[in-house]
Amino acid sequence: MKINNFIFWLLLLFLISTTNSFAKETKVNYRLKWLFNTSVAGDIYADAGGYFKDAGLDVDVREGSPEKNAINELELKRADFGVASADQVIRALDKGAKIFVIAQLFQINPMQWIYRRDKPEIKTLQDLRGRNIGITFGGNDETIMNTLLAKAGIKKKDVAITGVRFDFTPFFMRKVDVWPVYRNSQGVILKDRLAREGEDVYFFNPADFGVNFVANSVITSQAMLEKSPDIVEKFLKALLKGWEAAMDPANEVHTLEVVKKLDKGNNNLIRKKQLNATRNLIKPSASIKIGTINMEAWKQTEEMMLKEKQIKKPVNIYTHLIQIK
Amino acid sequence: MRLECNNLNFTYPGSRTAVINNLSFSMKNPGFNSLFGPSGVGKTSLAKMIANSNFKCNYDIVTEDMDTILYSYNLERLPGWLSTGKHLNKVTSPENQSLKEQLIEIFELNDVLGSRFSKLSMGQQNRMNLIRYLMQDFDLLIMDESLANVDEKLRETIILAIKELFNDKMFLYISHNLMEVSKFCSQILVFGKSPGKKDCFVIEGQDCKKGYLLDKKQLDMTMLEIMNAF
Amino acid sequence: MLFRRIYQFLIVYIIGILLLLMIKTGLSLSDYVIPGVALIVETTGQVFKEYFFDVMNTMSVTILGQCLSIIMAFTVGIAGRKSSWIGSFIKVTAYNIQAYPIVALAPIIFILLGDGFIPRLLIASMICYFPLLLSVLGIMATPVKDIEHFYIVTGRMRWQLEVKIRAFENLSKLTTVISGSATLAMAGTIVGEFIAANAGIGYSIRIALYQSDLAKIIVALFMIGIIISIYQGILETMGEQIKARWSISKKGEVL
Repeated sequence: MKINNFIFWLLLLFLISTTNSFAKETKVNYRLKWLFNTSVAGDIYADAGGYFKDAGLDVDVREGSPEKNAINELELKRADFGVASADQVIRALDKGAKIFVIAQLFQINPMQWIYRRDKPEIKTLQDLRGRNIGITFGGNDETIMNTLLAKAGIKKKDVAITGVRFDFTPFFMRKVDVWPVYRNSQGVILKDRLAREGEDVYFFNPADFGVNFVANSVITSQAMLEKSPDIVEKFLKALLKGWEAAMDPANEVHTLEVVKKLDKGNNNLIRKKQLNATRNLIKPSASIKIGTINMEAWKQTEEMMLKEKQIKKPVNIYTHLIQIK
Repeated sequence: MRLECNNLNFTYPGSRTAVINNLSFSMKNPGFNSLFGPSGVGKTSLAKMIANSNFKCNYDIVTEDMDTILYSYNLERLPGWLSTGKHLNKVTSPENQSLKEQLIEIFELNDVLGSRFSKLSMGQQNRMNLIRYLMQDFDLLIMDESLANVDEKLRETIILAIKELFNDKMFLYISHNLMEVSKFCSQILVFGKSPGKKDCFVIEGQDCKKGYLLDKKQLDMTMLEIMNAF
Repeated sequence: MLFRRIYQFLIVYIIGILLLLMIKTGLSLSDYVIPGVALIVETTGQVFKEYFFDVMNTMSVTILGQCLSIIMAFTVGIAGRKSSWIGSFIKVTAYNIQAYPIVALAPIIFILLGDGFIPRLLIASMICYFPLLLSVLGIMATPVKDIEHFYIVTGRMRWQLEVKIRAFENLSKLTTVISGSATLAMAGTIVGEFIAANAGIGYSIRIALYQSDLAKIIVALFMIGIIISIYQGILETMGEQIKARWSISKKGEVL
């Protein structure tokens, strides 16, 4: 009898302790916009560096792809947080999605197009005519290019648009002339590859032509904000701490090691160049806090999309931007 | 012309029971002969063996002056993509055209020459099938229930016509019609037990020809002899 | 038959849409995830013309691929009908290969041949080839004794006649398997386009997926369903007319 009692209390203690340990960390799913690479160094660092764990969160950081959409996953409750570009957010709001932006990662939009120097330089938007332009359908480059073409009065038949994905082969084989890149990730890779072949490149930057969309931002659902504001705050703080640490030059070695574990496709030198380029886009100056939401840039993005009829009605984007301090 | 079997034995592969057991018989000269017996005694098996050239090599079956032996049966069909008349034309040599027309007349198939085989009645189908065999070059034609589903009067007309028009050929007529076989066949190989305790034996039929006068007594005796075999 | 196919498809399609709308209402999803009827109608107006041409593009590949596979299946099936070693080899190979999901080979085909018309045609024809081949092999290897007997014993049998007899006697089976292979061919073509092509409705669906535009996908599915229903209806009608012409069958019964 005494032994039975002892076993019972031991079991109860064990159950309580395991329940407690499970209760310590809240499970959270975080869907990124693209594949694991240096461009998401802060997201990876926040996880690997233990920032999420310190905040009591068990975060599953999932890489993105063209087939995956963070906004869909938020609505279907498969993700609690996600990364999306401004055009994706605004388009979703136009269709009634209940999402909010809680941080803006890229202060400068990295979306550009790379092309070889043996082609004429694109000095005006009219120089896009007759080019074979690659776009990632569903990506912010598609929206940006549509805006550029509309701004220049260029019809779709005046250019050749090719849908592109992960594979650079069509660009290497010159089937596509103008290839979409994030300046800080694919841009670095392609420039390096072509340089080794003795080829030099231009970068076509939409911002030079007055098209300045906001890029990757952290989003969550209205339900998450209403029901679990504490988790939102904990998550964001941990995430931005992770980004701050990842962008700190003092942590460069550790950051590159952490990214290398997930980004197996590139070499150390490329990753280093990518990290330097990413730093300039995430934290262009020391005074800018990572994650700061540029309200004006968002409003501008909405206005451009409304003007180009990419959305049917204004979405009042500023009412969906939450700057958590 | 001679058809002879010498102690023929046959068992189907995988079967324990012999279908044909020590069969010996001899049929000489052209004529309208018959294989008669109850179902399952081996009439069709024997017929197929006679028609199959492989068996003749074993010397169990001897066919003298018989180069071409054809076996026909009542379930055969003509291809369905042409009318029966056109099919008949395709399998009939030019020199047999008048014979073909004569047979069509006798077999009462004039009205169906423009129809496809599937549209014919069973009796018409069997007659059409028989005609095309009769148009071929043969020495012995085995007719396995070839006149099934044909009325008695027409069957008589057909058999008499075959005997008259093909008097230089041998026929083996497989039928269950005792009177018909007794009346029109020359030699009848009966599958059964005879008074002499043989399994099979050949008896002489009435071999009636066109314009015949039937000897009823003789016919009854023939039929009785056959019946006593079972 | 044609109208029956179309309204059967419409019934299934509408049920599917209703299910989606039920899920939308049940989970309170926005138009971004599951579009409402108004958005579907609006999107239809925007992309109908473009998707119509895309579907016709895919259909052209499908029909050509199916024709190609019918020719190949009959050629190989006729050659493989004998019980010689080559006939046995063909049968065994066909049985084994047909168990493999051919569409899984699509990426290899696209890598080797690029993303143009030929790889799509190849995938479409390969998808429906093996089921057709098995049916043709089965038909051609099975003698129709009641008809063939006369020609064999009289020495008139030729391989052409043998093939003709066996094909004619199994015309119902052949027409059924050919009209059934139309769906296979269409499915294979679309999946191939989805994987790596640069044209056709499968490609358009892939773009719509990347754009997370379910409204476009719903419109595409409608176009595919209508066109394939019409195509199958036409094939079945043609099959019935051929059978009626040869007086082979009425309502499935052999006369």
